Amino acid sequence: MKKKKLRFIIGGIILFLVLGYLIYSGMRGTMLYYMTVSELMDKGDSAYGEGVRLGGRVVENSINWDSLKLELKFDITDGKKKIPVVYKGVVPDAFKSGADVIVEGSYSPQGGFHATTLLAKCPSKYRPLEDEKT
Amino acid sequence: MMTDIGYFSVVVALIVSLYAVVLSVIGKKTGRRDLIASGQNGVLAVSGLLTIAAASLLYAFLSHNFQVEYVASYSSRNLPLLYTISAFYAGNNGSLLLWAWFLSLFSSLVVIQNRRQNREIMPYVISVLMITAFFFLSLLVFISNPFQKSLLVPPDGQGLNPLLQNPGMLVHPPTLYLGYVGFTVPFAFAIAALLTGQLGDTWIRSTRRWTLFSWFFLGIGNLLGSWWAYVELGWGGFWMWDPVESASFMPWLVGTAYLHSVMIQEKRGMLKVWNMVLIIITFALSIFGTFLTRSGVLSSVHTFAESPLLGYLFLGFIGVILLFSCVLLLIRLPLLRSRNELDSFLSRESTFLFNNLLLVGATFAVFWGTVFPIISEAVRGVKVTVGPPFFNQVTIPIFLALLLITGICPLIAWRRASRRNLTKNFLYPFVTGLVGGGLLFVLGIRNTTALISFTLSIFVTATILLEFIRGTKARREMTGEGGIKAFLSLVWKNKRRYGGYIVHLGIIFIFVGVTGSVFKVEKVATLVKGESLTIKDYTLRYNGLSRYPTQNRYVIAATLSVYKEGKKIGILTPRKNFYEGQDQPTTEVAVRSTLKEDLFVILAGYEGEKATFKAIINPLMVWMWIGGYVLSLGGVIILWPDRKRIQKTEDRGQRKSGI
Repeated sequence: MKKKKLRFIIGGIILFLVLGYLIYSGMRGTMLYYMTVSELMDKGDSAYGEGVRLGGRVVENSINWDSLKLELKFDITDGKKKIPVVYKGVVPDAFKSGADVIVEGSYSPQGGFHATTLLAKCPSKYRPLEDEKT
Repeated sequence: MMTDIGYFSVVVALIVSLYAVVLSVIGKKTGRRDLIASGQNGVLAVSGLLTIAAASLLYAFLSHNFQVEYVASYSSRNLPLLYTISAFYAGNNGSLLLWAWFLSLFSSLVVIQNRRQNREIMPYVISVLMITAFFFLSLLVFISNPFQKSLLVPPDGQGLNPLLQNPGMLVHPPTLYLGYVGFTVPFAFAIAALLTGQLGDTWIRSTRRWTLFSWFFLGIGNLLGSWWAYVELGWGGFWMWDPVESASFMPWLVGTAYLHSVMIQEKRGMLKVWNMVLIIITFALSIFGTFLTRSGVLSSVHTFAESPLLGYLFLGFIGVILLFSCVLLLIRLPLLRSRNELDSFLSRESTFLFNNLLLVGATFAVFWGTVFPIISEAVRGVKVTVGPPFFNQVTIPIFLALLLITGICPLIAWRRASRRNLTKNFLYPFVTGLVGGGLLFVLGIRNTTALISFTLSIFVTATILLEFIRGTKARREMTGEGGIKAFLSLVWKNKRRYGGYIVHLGIIFIFVGVTGSVFKVEKVATLVKGESLTIKDYTLRYNGLSRYPTQNRYVIAATLSVYKEGKKIGILTPRKNFYEGQDQPTTEVAVRSTLKEDLFVILAGYEGEKATFKAIINPLMVWMWIGGYVLSLGGVIILWPDRKRIQKTEDRGQRKSGI
């Protein structure tokens, strides 16, 4: 009787360890730091090449769209500092001057922030009241 | 006037719900039937009152009463009728009312169903249901009043978010809510069983249908959500592990585990504590799911209403639920002994157990990835996020293991499987799976994950088919019915078993559809009128843009002729819609579906005569939706009321009278 129970406990532990390993290795490989523009700039050289998720607002009149190369260039700011962003791909509908966006990618010494993902915050439709205040 | 009635009804319902709780508890403690009956009537009253409240909010929408802030925020005069109705639950306050309303209806149904049974535990069942209703009603009265009026009446409302103007969005939220709210019923019975110490499996049998019902609608709700994301969000995928998606997925996963493990308790009297834990977690996660959408603690595409107070209240409620349930469970632990023990690794019980561990493990992984940003910020002060790659990496192996168990579990013997049992049931499916997988390899599929997934899918399908064939054959020999008739009556006479197989089959199809996304191909190109782009064996020729207004929007549509192997096979018109009162366009994708693959085209941008397109080939996509239909069919079969019991008594009567 005891022996049988032991086998199930061992089976459970193995399953548990595998799960732990999956989560651990998954986190290591895919974790992104969520930062503001200032936080990224303040990190200096150590920020280069690291996977970062950056939130900020699109600077007015900074948008440059190359429809042949499908390349979008714009600056984002958190009100204190700004950073140039390069993004290749389809631009979301909500993207425009002054929109709140989230970009994922990495920062390099040349050419600013290379974004692989560009998310524009959904329209403020959900919160019309707050939006009028800002 | 109507809105005053609505608000008043909610306030009265709040009081009555509390009344029902107090009377039920006192009635139970003192053993006074009249008080308990009065509490039950209170439940019926709450559902009546909330029906009035829901009707008056609906009326406010239909009559364009823009004095009501909620109506003004989510609808407008030119909104089509159906979407004016769905605007009811487009925002925070209306969704909470919908929740409370569904809960009150379900509670009434429980009262009616149990007029003559479960007398012992019913007062507590009602208490738990009504405490939950009380929580939601307090939110409606004190924080998120959908009937709030503004001083100024705007001439027109602000309209409904165009993304929500989609047939999927008409049914997705209520479907999901049916599931969320439905799990309150088994939870209430579980807690009542713990409170009274009546811990046999009556509470499980009494709520079997409720569990199936909730599980079914939660699943369909999730599927509708991904269908909506696929056709409406215009990025070519169907699932991106957004916190809100995870929020509705987690209770479904644990609910699936619960659905399976209660069978073990019914059949073998085991896993009693585990079942309690599962239903408590399922309910807590259902509330958590509602909370995540409502609170805005996690940034997401579809969180509405950033009201921190609401968030804290939800967290507090979940905390109370968990604390109370766990303490109660600990107190009753001695009464929850198993009747039996696990006999062998190779047994149906143990596959159920592993299915459960895997499902809960998957839930934990998803939960961890979803809340990790909050934990990390609180503990280390660093904001960190994990995206889809994390979730995929962790959950894919778990889901593949589950797929394997789906094949083994229904066929392996109870207690201890003999070698004969194993070869009899698994030899053919095993060989079929291997041959199928080998064939796919020869055909050029080299992706390991996809190969494993397809091989397992073939294996499981083969086990299910084998069951159907054997069952039909046995029935033919027994009754002499024809093939089709034997098959149908086989399913109809054993709804739970064969309905379950059909649900499994639906899940397999969904797996196949999801696996197809491994082979997704994308291409982006900017074209001048007359130019073409080629993706796989499709050629798309751009014929130009047209611009025209419709009821509440202005449409820009690109026309593309689709050619395959030189033959024209159709026209696709991806569009951008500009809705009135919205300063940004909404992408409307064009999709051409076949069983083999979807051709999915997005109009990404345009400048004069030039237009930019993103074309995507999504292989096997349609199988996901077919899987949804099959799953629904299976669900309906299982849920269909069984008339066997009546039949049997009739039979007995006939036999007695000598017919």
